[in-house]
This record gives sequence, structure tokens and C-alpha cells, in this order.
Amino acid sequence: MRSAKAIFIKQARDLFRNRMMLIQFIIFPVMAFVMTEFVAKSTPEIPSSMFVTMFAAMFIGMTPLSMTAGVIAEDKEHNSLRFLVMAGVKPHEYLIGTCGFTFLACALVSLLFGLIGGFTSVELAKFVAVLILGSCASLLLGATIGLFSKNQQAATAISTPTFMLLAFSPMIAQFNTNVAKVSTIFYTQQVNTIVNNLTDGIMKPILIILANIAILLTLFIIVYRKNKIRGKR
Amino acid sequence: MIKMNNIVKRFDNHTVLSDVTFEVKEKEIFGLLGPSGAGKTTIINILTNQLKSDSGSHEINVIPFETGLMLDEDGLYVRLSCIENLDVFACIYGIPRKKSMEALKSVGLIGAEKKPVSALSRGMRQRLAFARAILHSPKILFLDEPTSGLDPGTAQGIHEIIQNLRKNGATIFLTTHNMEEAVKLCDKVALLHKGRIVEQGAPAEICERHHAFKTVPDLESVFIKMTGMDVQ
Repeated sequence: MRSAKAIFIKQARDLFRNRMMLIQFIIFPVMAFVMTEFVAKSTPEIPSSMFVTMFAAMFIGMTPLSMTAGVIAEDKEHNSLRFLVMAGVKPHEYLIGTCGFTFLACALVSLLFGLIGGFTSVELAKFVAVLILGSCASLLLGATIGLFSKNQQAATAISTPTFMLLAFSPMIAQFNTNVAKVSTIFYTQQVNTIVNNLTDGIMKPILIILANIAILLTLFIIVYRKNKIRGKR
Repeated sequence: MIKMNNIVKRFDNHTVLSDVTFEVKEKEIFGLLGPSGAGKTTIINILTNQLKSDSGSHEINVIPFETGLMLDEDGLYVRLSCIENLDVFACIYGIPRKKSMEALKSVGLIGAEKKPVSALSRGMRQRLAFARAILHSPKILFLDEPTSGLDPGTAQGIHEIIQNLRKNGATIFLTTHNMEEAVKLCDKVALLHKGRIVEQGAPAEICERHHAFKTVPDLESVFIKMTGMDVQ
């Protein structure tokens, strides 16, 4: 696990110097905080946690996906991955180091969302757990896109429409029944459903999220076997 | 230490290596010489198991961990500093972090250790890539054009490090199109032309065979004689 630790530390250092990535982690909780404090609290018709749940669901659909895809594609494009492989880093160690850091960062941001939302402790636990589950699905999808893409440009071209579809469909579904029917199958829609009704039963949405994770894991394994973890030619 | 037997490699229908055979002995500095596109990097890719040959065989008597690699594309993390780049690999190799500083010192990058890679000149990046390749004192070092684009002083420094590494027991496999460098450093060279080895042996022996001595062995004129083209 020494290699995974080295890559984990490298990811942490890299994130704090990569403004574009850092903004993705900061912007959603900041927006949630500002809108909650200055709009929701002064408008009685708006539920107090509406903006928190909305931005949290968007965050889960966008950030882990684009960050993981971008990091893996960048390592391939710059040939860094090849040097790691030559240093004896195993594919699973690389993925644990890369995805592990993003996972931890997402878990912390999820907790931050929960604290801004002012939930009870049971609701907070449920809220964070669901967001973490959603992060897992996004991470798998991001890693698949990163492995599949030859470079960052290709990764961006695939990940941008993908995360837009996943992150925005729950919001559009509120106004359009046709979109609502389709978006039911997306994990982001189910995350959105749970975080908006934390007191309701969550069995069905959880099962749909788990089914998403199973499908994405299968897809990841197929792409992983075809592309391997190695540098470019 | 390193053996290649009758290696053939094709990309689509284009043959880039045909019947490549050579052997590198322990503690030897072996130079693969040829112009751009001759197939030098493809040979390194095959030797480091990054590419499969279509036929033939090769063997290296060390595990991947014991090899060091320096390529044209350096693969450095541009947002991290010099020392952080080396620390990533020191942690992977499980060697003390002070080794990173020692490696930086050996390539003359002391003072630039906290500079991000994105702020380094090409020569400095090349030296950092070299420092990463030698960080874990590898038994075999693969160097793809290690001094191309470097100023003479820095290139001289790299030559000294290469010779010291050999003294300490490393085997060095380098590619270059700098004939002077090959004569100065290599115990044995192979001249590669359009994916085929046209001549190999000790530089002085090759030059003697082809009557290409001026005051020093003149490998360049041997290459031109054998291939009809300038190595540059």
C-alpha cells in the first residue's frame, strides 16, 4: 500500500495547486451556504434545506466524475502513468491512491453540506451516507472515462455531457414528467430523492443506486481489462 | 544482463524493427545510435515491457523495480515542486526522503527544489527527470536521449553521473544521435538504421573496421558510409 499512499499524497498536493479542480470542490458548498443564508432563510415558502440538497446532488453528479476522469487522463497524456508502472505501482494501487483521495474529499464536502443544512444527527448520517454512495458511482464512471480516454481533451469531451446529464436531470425532472421518468434510473436522481425526503423510506432509491454502482463497476472492469493501466505508446 | 534476439515489430503494415539482435553485459554502457525514427524508443518500449514485439524474444535479468527510466516525455507532475516529484517515487520505492535531496544535488538542482516543474526550463526538467531515474540506484538505467537539448556544461555533468553509476555497478542502456557522446561514454554501440542494426561493437573497433579514425574514432562517418545518410 506504499504506492497507493504515495499517489494519495501526490493527489492531495496536486489538488491544492489545481485551481480548476479546487473550485469544483468549493463552489457547490459555498453556493449552498450563500443561498441558504440569504435566500432560503428570508423566504418562508422555500424549505430551509432546499439549496443544500440541490447543490449536494449536483456536486455528487459532477465533481467526483470530472476529477477522476481528468486525473487519470492527464497521467496518461503526460506519460506519468508509465513511470509509475515502471516503478512497480500496480493498477489497483494507482486506482486506490487516485480515487481514494477524491472519495475522501467528497466525503468531507458531503459532511460540510450536511452541516450547512442544519439536519438532526440521524438525518445528517443518512444524508452523508447517501452522498458517499453517490460519490462511489460517480468515481467509477469517472475512472472508466479516464481509462477509456487517450488524453484530457478526450476525457473532457466525454465527461462534460455525461455529468451535465447526471447532475442536471434531477432538477429538470421537477418541471418535466418525461425527463422525470427517464431520470429515475440515474443514481443522481435517487440521491436527490433521498436527500429531499430524509424522513421517508429509502429502500427503493438505495436499491437503484446500488444497481447503478453494479452496472458501472461492470463497465469499469470491462474498460479496465481492455485498456489496462499503462502509459501511452 | 539485457538480450534481444531477432526482434521484429510492425505498426499496421509498417515494419519499424526487423531482426534486431544484441546483448548488453553487466556494468556495460551500451549505446543505441541512429537518427530520429530509426526505432530506438521502440526498442526501449519493448525492453521495458511497454510494448510487445511481433516475433523474437528479449530478456532482462532484473525486476522492473530495479530499472530506472528517462524518456523524451518526462512524465513529471507539473504542479508539484522538484522535491515533491522525487518524494512521490521515494515513497513508492520505500527509500528515505533524504535520497531525493541527494539526487537533486547530483544533477545540480539544489536551490530549485521548491520550484514547481511548470516553472523549470527544458534543461532543468531533463535534469529532474534524470534525478528521478537514478533516485533508487537502479541496476539497469534506460536513458532515451539523455542530453539532447542540454547545454554543454550540463551534458558534461550528466556524462559524469552516468560514468559514476557504472563504476557503482549499474548497467546503462542509452539511445542517442550524438556520436561524440557515444564514443566518449559507451563500451559498446549498435548503429540502428530504419529498424535494422547495421553495425555493432566497441566504438573504436567499429571505426577501425571501417577505417574511420581521425585523431579519435569517427563513428559519424561510419554511420554515413553504412546508411548513406547523416545521423542528425
